[in-house]
Amino acid sequence: MKRLTSQGITHLVLLIGAFLAVTPFVWMAFASVKTFTEVVSSRRLLPTVWTLQNYRDILSRVGFLRAFYNSALVAVPATVSVVFGSAAMGYVLAKYRFWGREVLFRVLLSTMMVPFTVVIIPLFLTMRDLELTNKLGGVLVTSLCSTFGIFLMRQTIESIPNDYIDAARIDGASEVWIFSQVIIPLSRSAIATLAVFIFLGNWDNYMWPSVLLKRPSQHTLPVVIAGMQSLFVERYHLWSAGSMLTVIPVMILFTLAQKQFMRGLALAGLKG
Amino acid sequence: MRTLRNPQFQFGFVVLALVLTWYVLFSFRPVVLGFKMAVTDYDLLNPADSKLVGLQHFETIFNKYKLFWVSVRNTITYAVMVNLGTVPIALVFAYCLAKVANGRSWYQWALFLPVVVSMAAVALLFRFLMDPGLGIFNHALKAAGLPPSRWLTGPRSAMYSIVIVALWKGLGGNIVILTAGLLNVPRELYDVAKVDGASSWKTFWYVTLPLLSHVLKLVMILVTIGSLQVYTSAMILTRGGPGRATYMISQFVVEEAFTHLRFGLASSSAFVLFLAILVITLMQLRLTRVGWEY
Repeated sequence: MKRLTSQGITHLVLLIGAFLAVTPFVWMAFASVKTFTEVVSSRRLLPTVWTLQNYRDILSRVGFLRAFYNSALVAVPATVSVVFGSAAMGYVLAKYRFWGREVLFRVLLSTMMVPFTVVIIPLFLTMRDLELTNKLGGVLVTSLCSTFGIFLMRQTIESIPNDYIDAARIDGASEVWIFSQVIIPLSRSAIATLAVFIFLGNWDNYMWPSVLLKRPSQHTLPVVIAGMQSLFVERYHLWSAGSMLTVIPVMILFTLAQKQFMRGLALAGLKG
Repeated sequence: MRTLRNPQFQFGFVVLALVLTWYVLFSFRPVVLGFKMAVTDYDLLNPADSKLVGLQHFETIFNKYKLFWVSVRNTITYAVMVNLGTVPIALVFAYCLAKVANGRSWYQWALFLPVVVSMAAVALLFRFLMDPGLGIFNHALKAAGLPPSRWLTGPRSAMYSIVIVALWKGLGGNIVILTAGLLNVPRELYDVAKVDGASSWKTFWYVTLPLLSHVLKLVMILVTIGSLQVYTSAMILTRGGPGRATYMISQFVVEEAFTHLRFGLASSSAFVLFLAILVITLMQLRLTRVGWEY
C-alpha cells in the first residue's frame, strides 16, 4: 500500500514536469493555425477558425525554404565530418601508443573550456582572409571537428578489446580496413549518439552564423527565426508558424533517436 | 610496447595531421590571436603594425567602462540563479525518474523535448507566452488571483523571465545526467539502509546524495560554464534590455567587436570571461571535493 502511494506521487510529479515541458509547444502549435485577430483577442487553446494562411505567409514572405536548405548545407556535412574525424581520432588516441599521447588529449580537452567569445574575433578575421565571410563555408569550416566527439569516441573505443585489433593485424588487414570493419561497427551506438548531438548543435547554432552571415540569402534557420521578431513585430501567429517549421523536424529526429540521445548524455556525464 | 608497423604509422599520421591542422587553424591560433589582440592596439587596416599596449585594455574596461561591470553583474546574477534553480529541480525530477516503475522513457521524452529545439524558436515562443497583454503567463496569474507581471519588459522581472526560460530549456539534459547517476548507486546500499531502519528521507540524505556528489558537481560545472556564456536567449528575448537589465558579457564582447570595431577591448573582456570560467570551475572542483568514499 505504501509502495503504491509513493509510486502515485512519483507519477504525479513527473506528469506535472512533462505537462510544463510540453504545453508551450502545444500552445504554439494551435496558435500557428489561428488568425491574427484570434491570437490577439482570445485565450482559448483551440482556434475557432482553422487556417493555414500563416504558413503560406511565412513560406512566401521570408526566405524560409532557403534558410532550411542553408541550415542543412551546414549541419549535414559537419555531422559527417565530426563523426568520421572523431572516430578516427578516438581510435588513434585510444589504441595507438606514441609519445605525448596523454598530453595531447588533455590539451585538446582543455579547448572545451574556452568560451566562443574569445575566438570569435580572430575567427572572423581568419574567415575574412580566407574570403569566407558571408559564406556558409565559413560556418561549416569551424564545425568540422568536435572536442566532445573526440572525447566520446575515445572513451568508447578504449573499451573495445585489443584482441580484435591484433587478430585483424595478424591476418594482414590494413589499418583502414580495421577502422572501417572493426572499430566503426563496434562503436555504432556511440556514433549514432554523436551524430544526433552534432546535427542538432549545428542546426540550432545562432551566435556564429549571426555574426558571420550578413547577406540574407545565406542566413540559416535560427538567424531567420531571430530576424522575424523585427520583421513581423509582435505578429505572434506568424512567429508560431515559423517556430513550428523549425521545431518539427528536430522533434521528429529526437523522437526517432531518443535512446541514443539519453545514452550519450548519461555516458558523457558519468565518464566526465 | 608494440613497435609501429608502417601501415599503422601511416594511418595514425594522416589522422593526427588532419585533425591537428584543424585544431591549430581554428582553435589554437584564434586563442593566441585573441590574446594578442587583448594586449595590443589592433590596427584593422594593417595588423602587422599593431602596437603592444600591455594591460591597458583591461585597465580601460575595469576603470572606464561602467557597461562592462553592468554586464558582469548581470551575467553572475544570471549564472547563480540558473544554478540555484537547476540543481534542486533537476534532482527532484531525476529522483522520480529513477524511482518510477513504468513509463520512464515517455517521461524522459517529454522532459527532454525543450532541450533539442533551437533557442531562437524557444525565445520567440516565450516572447509570445510572456507578452504582458496577450500572453498566457499573465492569464494564468490572473486566473490564480495573482497580480500580473511585466515579464520580459519589466526592468526587475526581465532577469527572472530569462532565468525561467533557461530553466525550462536546460533542465532536461541535467535531469538525464542525474538520473543516470542515481541508477548507478548500488542497490545493496539501499537494502542496508532499509535493514537499519532508515527513513527514505534519511536514506536520500545520507546514502544517495553523497554518492551523487560527483555527478552533481559535474552538473553544476556544466551549468556554470554554459550560463556564463549566455548569448542567444538574452539577445532574442530582450536584446539586453529593458535598459541594460539583461545585458550580458557575451553581448558586450560582440557589440564592442562588431558594432564599435574595438577589437582590443572586446578581446580583453572575452579573456576576463575565460579567466572567470577557469577560476570558478577549478574552485567548484576544489570546494566540493569529497574527502571520503564508501
